[in-house]
Amino acid sequence: MKKVIYILSFVLFLGACDQGFEELNVNPTKPVQVDVANKLTALQKFISSERYDNWRANLIYQSTMMQHFATTAGYWSGDKYTWNKGYASSLLDRYYENAIKTVEDMLVQLEEEGAPEEMKAITRILRVYAYSRLTDLYGDIPYSEAGQAVISGIFLPKYDAQSEIYPDLLKELEESAAALASGTSGFGAADVIYGGDQAKWKRLANSLMLRLGFRLIKVDAAGSQAWVTKAISGGVMESNADIFYLQHDTDNRNGNGEVFLADGEMRMSKTFIDFMQNASDPRLPILSARRLDGSTATADLIGLPNGLDSEMLMTMTGEENTDNYAEPNRSIITGVEAPMFFQTYAEVEFMLAEAAERWGLAGGNPEPHYNEGVRAAMKMLEIYGPAAAIADADIDTYLANNPFDSANAIEQINTQYWAATFLNEYETFANWRRSGFPALVPVNYPGNVTGGTIPRRLTYSESEQSNNPDNYAAAVAAQGPDELTTRVWWDVP
Amino acid sequence: MNKKLHYYLMIVSFLCFQFTMAQNRTVTGTVSDNTGSPLPGVNVVEKGTSNGTSTDFDGNYSINVADGATLVFSSLGYATREVAVGTQTTVNVSLAEDASQLDEVVVTALGIRKETKALGYSLTEVGGEELSTIKTPNAINSLQGKIAGVNITQNSTGAAGSSRVIIRGSSSLSGNNQPLYVVDGIPIGNENNGSASLWGGSDGGDGISSINPDDIESLSVLKGGAASALYGSRAAGGVIIVTTKSGQGRDGFGVELSSSVTFDKVDTSLQDFQTEYGQGIRGRKPVNLVEARDNGLSSWGARLDGTPVVQWDGVERPYSYVGSNLDHFYRTGTTFINTVALTNSTGNSNYRLSASDLSNEDVMPNAGLNRKTFSLNASTVLAEKLTTSVNAKYIIEKVNNRPRLSDAPGNGNFTVANLSPNVDVRFMEPGANEDGTERTYSTNTFSQNPYFAAYNFRNEDVKNRIIASTSLRYDILDWLYLSGRIGIDHSTIRRVAVEPFGTAYKPLGGINEEERRYNQVDADLILGVERDVTDKFSVSGFVGTNSNHIKEEQLNLGGNDFIVPGLEDIGNTVSQSRSRTYGERKIGSLYGSLELSWDDWAYITFTGRNDWFSTLSFPGKTTPNDDFYPSVNASLILSDALNMPEFVSFLKLRGGYSEVAGGAQNPYSLSLIYEIFGNPIQGQPLGRVSGGTVPNSNLVPFSKSETEIGLDARFFNNRLSLDLAYYQNETTNDIVNVATSIYSGYNGASANLGKVENKGIEFLINATPIRTEDFSWNTTFNGAHNKGKVLATDDVDSDVSLDEPRTQNVRITHIVGEAYGTIVGVSYDRDPSGNIRYEIDAEGVPRAVEGERKVLGEGVPPLTLGWTNSFAYKNFNLNVLIDGKFGGQIFSGTNTVVYGNGLHKATLEGRESGLTVSGIDAATDQPFTTTVAPENLSTYYGEINDIAEHFVEDSDYIKLRQVSLGYSLPSSILKNVFLSSVDFSIIASNLFYIKRSIDNIDPESAYNVGNSQGLEYFGVPSSRSYGMNINVKF
Repeated sequence: MKKVIYILSFVLFLGACDQGFEELNVNPTKPVQVDVANKLTALQKFISSERYDNWRANLIYQSTMMQHFATTAGYWSGDKYTWNKGYASSLLDRYYENAIKTVEDMLVQLEEEGAPEEMKAITRILRVYAYSRLTDLYGDIPYSEAGQAVISGIFLPKYDAQSEIYPDLLKELEESAAALASGTSGFGAADVIYGGDQAKWKRLANSLMLRLGFRLIKVDAAGSQAWVTKAISGGVMESNADIFYLQHDTDNRNGNGEVFLADGEMRMSKTFIDFMQNASDPRLPILSARRLDGSTATADLIGLPNGLDSEMLMTMTGEENTDNYAEPNRSIITGVEAPMFFQTYAEVEFMLAEAAERWGLAGGNPEPHYNEGVRAAMKMLEIYGPAAAIADADIDTYLANNPFDSANAIEQINTQYWAATFLNEYETFANWRRSGFPALVPVNYPGNVTGGTIPRRLTYSESEQSNNPDNYAAAVAAQGPDELTTRVWWDVP
Repeated sequence: MNKKLHYYLMIVSFLCFQFTMAQNRTVTGTVSDNTGSPLPGVNVVEKGTSNGTSTDFDGNYSINVADGATLVFSSLGYATREVAVGTQTTVNVSLAEDASQLDEVVVTALGIRKETKALGYSLTEVGGEELSTIKTPNAINSLQGKIAGVNITQNSTGAAGSSRVIIRGSSSLSGNNQPLYVVDGIPIGNENNGSASLWGGSDGGDGISSINPDDIESLSVLKGGAASALYGSRAAGGVIIVTTKSGQGRDGFGVELSSSVTFDKVDTSLQDFQTEYGQGIRGRKPVNLVEARDNGLSSWGARLDGTPVVQWDGVERPYSYVGSNLDHFYRTGTTFINTVALTNSTGNSNYRLSASDLSNEDVMPNAGLNRKTFSLNASTVLAEKLTTSVNAKYIIEKVNNRPRLSDAPGNGNFTVANLSPNVDVRFMEPGANEDGTERTYSTNTFSQNPYFAAYNFRNEDVKNRIIASTSLRYDILDWLYLSGRIGIDHSTIRRVAVEPFGTAYKPLGGINEEERRYNQVDADLILGVERDVTDKFSVSGFVGTNSNHIKEEQLNLGGNDFIVPGLEDIGNTVSQSRSRTYGERKIGSLYGSLELSWDDWAYITFTGRNDWFSTLSFPGKTTPNDDFYPSVNASLILSDALNMPEFVSFLKLRGGYSEVAGGAQNPYSLSLIYEIFGNPIQGQPLGRVSGGTVPNSNLVPFSKSETEIGLDARFFNNRLSLDLAYYQNETTNDIVNVATSIYSGYNGASANLGKVENKGIEFLINATPIRTEDFSWNTTFNGAHNKGKVLATDDVDSDVSLDEPRTQNVRITHIVGEAYGTIVGVSYDRDPSGNIRYEIDAEGVPRAVEGERKVLGEGVPPLTLGWTNSFAYKNFNLNVLIDGKFGGQIFSGTNTVVYGNGLHKATLEGRESGLTVSGIDAATDQPFTTTVAPENLSTYYGEINDIAEHFVEDSDYIKLRQVSLGYSLPSSILKNVFLSSVDFSIIASNLFYIKRSIDNIDPESAYNVGNSQGLEYFGVPSSRSYGMNINVKF
């Protein structure tokens, strides 16, 4: 019997314990935390995002709706106002799981680590930027409860009304601007946009305040003026050195550039080419080239009308294909290493011009701001490389031929704004809805879903209907049908 | 004793290096029936051990046994005999035909051989011939329709793809539901090495497919918890025990040759598209090249009239039907399987060494696989009372171009299925221009030239796998033994995937190099007792311990943008990425079993097992990381205990209760972790939260309890038998990935509150209506009905979202109160009386309004039936298997897409003179009737293809699954030659559907084998197979 006990205890000893199990279940390949600076770099990349949403939301939808681009390809839904839900929701689908998740996580870490206020301020400014892009495009969106699954256990965030999101975004900008001073932030070089320059961040906070303030103009003119006033007095961007953009490289590619690599269907819209042709715009041969042979001779640069399929094109023009039309200039602006612009000094100057025109702000005279805006918009193309540089003399000529027209100031300013935001179609679309300019003529392709009007927003992720049905339903009830024609809160007809 | 123990321990430490073997005494003999005819297939077992063999075709057997052993001879329908061997070396036995004694011996949990009558649960054992007669590259597929309660789905993943095997319904909402495979005593990995999802991808194959069908001796299916409880946490999906052939069962040296060839041809009859209208839009032909290319897959053109019309390549061709592109594109697949086995049995040792080669060319051009399997099984008696055995398999599998499935990019199946009736796919060959770029047929770069996908894309892998185990048994006393077993399953998969330079959607191309390593070590140590206490009461039992340790590692190198065109190497790319993933997990266990029996007619068995999980352990965690799994089962042989009428040959009642199930499947999922990812930008590294699932630090094991009762009845001298089982099981605390809004930042969250119930019945009726000397007819009808129900997911009954297809208008979802894995999708918006609402657009076209997402069906058919008829006439035998599945639904992505592009036959209505549509105008809520002009039909039908409800149909089918006709050369012919047996057979499988509910697709054509069944979207079309086999033994 002794033997049996001996063997039994041996059996018990050998197996069936959980010794070392706790250590075994700690992932040896992943850290339990990373430096918040590494997250900031990632966040800046996530703001620029990737091919997926730049292709669908930015180019397929908005660039064609805004008549920067045109195409005969049927899947470019924005050109003909058809509805592809997966394309429409693509920004939501990428931003929340990347930019929003990261920025909310950073704020918790900064708080826990007692980080300096300027680091929090920079993070908050990026957060405002991300949410403003989302709410401008979709309207009511999860905001106060978004990105909080781990932080506060909210798996099904409610949708906040845009009317409540906007005041908070503006307040965030105000507080962030106040927290920024001068010198280099704690992020240092990890800030691949401004290299940690606090003064630039402060000017960005005020410039974004200027942008968001103007957005309110149709729904709350007084509030709009107040925020614009506050932004200007806080100090906005002062030169192209202040531009808010990310320089991409071969490992971290420009999402638009990746689209241009894979998709050759976009042509320059007739609307945009005609605008540049009519004004002898020096940007024309930099931004566009003939599809057939890359020619940038002015006579070879013809824009394709929006809203056509190839049969309609042939009937109308006899063109069997679109090779004779202009496309984005593949030798200059379409590379995967191109910069991605989020807000430019030119836009700021145009807004200052409008503020001067409307309310006598920013020195009261819109003309110098207009001129400076045009100049900045042309000069900033240098960032694409030397081939994109425009001589000052050419800009002077352009301004001489296309002087500020105080009788049509708002239209002229915002039409220049439209040209200057080419490829940042999120901003083009938002500012077009706010200002109504340029006066784009909608297309009416058979089978469109908007009744021949330009869409006013894009639509929510389909997954929300199954995964977050109650909050989705509440949002639709509050805002209106989840359709392309529904207007966001600030977009009062 | 101590010395012996040391000796034993020493052996254990060197187990892995063991090779040779022996036993004490070889006994040979012939088993015959009352008339003296030899009885093949009789089980011969050394009493009280797992040592056993069976008789060959001529009733001969050979077995190595210990001194003083008793041999038990058993065969279905014959009285079991026990013969003490004593000093004999030849034991010839004749068995009496007797129905009341049906002591079949089967392999049960942990490899223990038991008489069926002692089992209090349902267990089905099938012989190797069920898998080796009709061979498929994944052998397990051959069991489809043969075992009640075992639901096998082979799906449309290509020849090298995975199978889904589900026993008694799925019991875990998010976890793996496939059974545990135990090969020669050790669990093997059955990981799915990649599968397709809504964005495409290919099926990377599974683990069980490595096993060569010619090596399989028998396969035991432990369906319920009571049968498998000894495997504890790993048995939640049931257990399939594979026993491979050994050298036992014949005398001396022998050679077996087996050779088979199978031809596969795509079954074009399944697809029935319209062939009257050609490529084009709005009712007209393409007017020029651009329009032909802009609408590459649109069949909304004019009526085919034979006139020349420009196509995608600028060539004008007659606007006429070109025949089936399935026929044009797919080739005849071939599979050759050759196995040679050497067996030897001498004195105390025996072995079987086999080598096998499987060469497959898939129906998809340029795709196929080659698998070489080498297997050695050997056993020997090392010393008095000390027996050892070794099983080792080495498998080399090379797969060329696993076909891409689901979404269009790289998926040739998508293009071939969607081409217009007047566009002949063959003109797309070759797929590449001279400069290597893709010859595109469409401006939509994401639908591939299928020849480019087949010949220019690369998706290759090589798997090297070793499965080896060794065991040792020491009989300490005549009633006490100690046995140990250690096994390893190690595989390395090296994979290269290339999207070539010139791919339309990725002009500069890219490459991914991957290496996966999988390593599982499993060790058992068992101390057992077997004792007759009185002449009627006997006891047996054991205690044991198990350790299971799995390590997985994956290395990836990715490169984008080839620099030198045509050179497909990672170094030749502009930008690179790399990653390593690693996972390690352990389960530690203690278990025991106690069986009591009375007078050979009453049996009761208790088992218990406790498992500890590393995946539920974490520093500082306070909730348990272990769980205890008890079971009890009993059987009563009423026909022995009571007096029964003459026609009742055998009657057994059985019942059992068990708890099984387990821990978290993945390591490191209890806490939030971060990662540095990608390549630095401007020299600055990127950091973020790792993973998209909200971790849960309090996870505890889940458990599944099951009650089952059953009946085994045989009548009229076993000419008629019936086996019935009823079971009910419930999984609680299931670890569930509940759906979150993606706006929460995460795709899902781990919850620990899932509850799933399954109730079902299984039946097996076997009858031999005719049995004469020359002719017999045996018919077997099996069936199972399983009703699964989701009882809870988390504290707020969240839905659990599984996969959605590329259409994204439907999703497999677990909903509380509904069946497991319901199909939830966009429905029609209807008024209260059921009329469909439409929005009338500016052109007057009614557009179906999308209604709410609702339950449209269940993806797994609850009712499965199989009917086998076997006829034997002299040396001929004919087997016919018909199977069917009923009560399930499937969402057809194919029908959805071909509705949109005008290939579906239903879209013919209205092409000439318009289509009259009636419904409710959503704007006014008033009824309307309107005629949709032919040129607007694409808008009308295109809107319908957003409505998933329209494309969810019953997946019911009845199929002629297998037919085989075999012939064995009579032994009279073989007597004078050196051959001992020669068998031929001609086989055919997947011949045709006798009944099928859904049009255009195979109802069994899901594109992956995960829990999201019921979604179809452009997999490899199904094939019919024909072939032949020859088996020769020397």
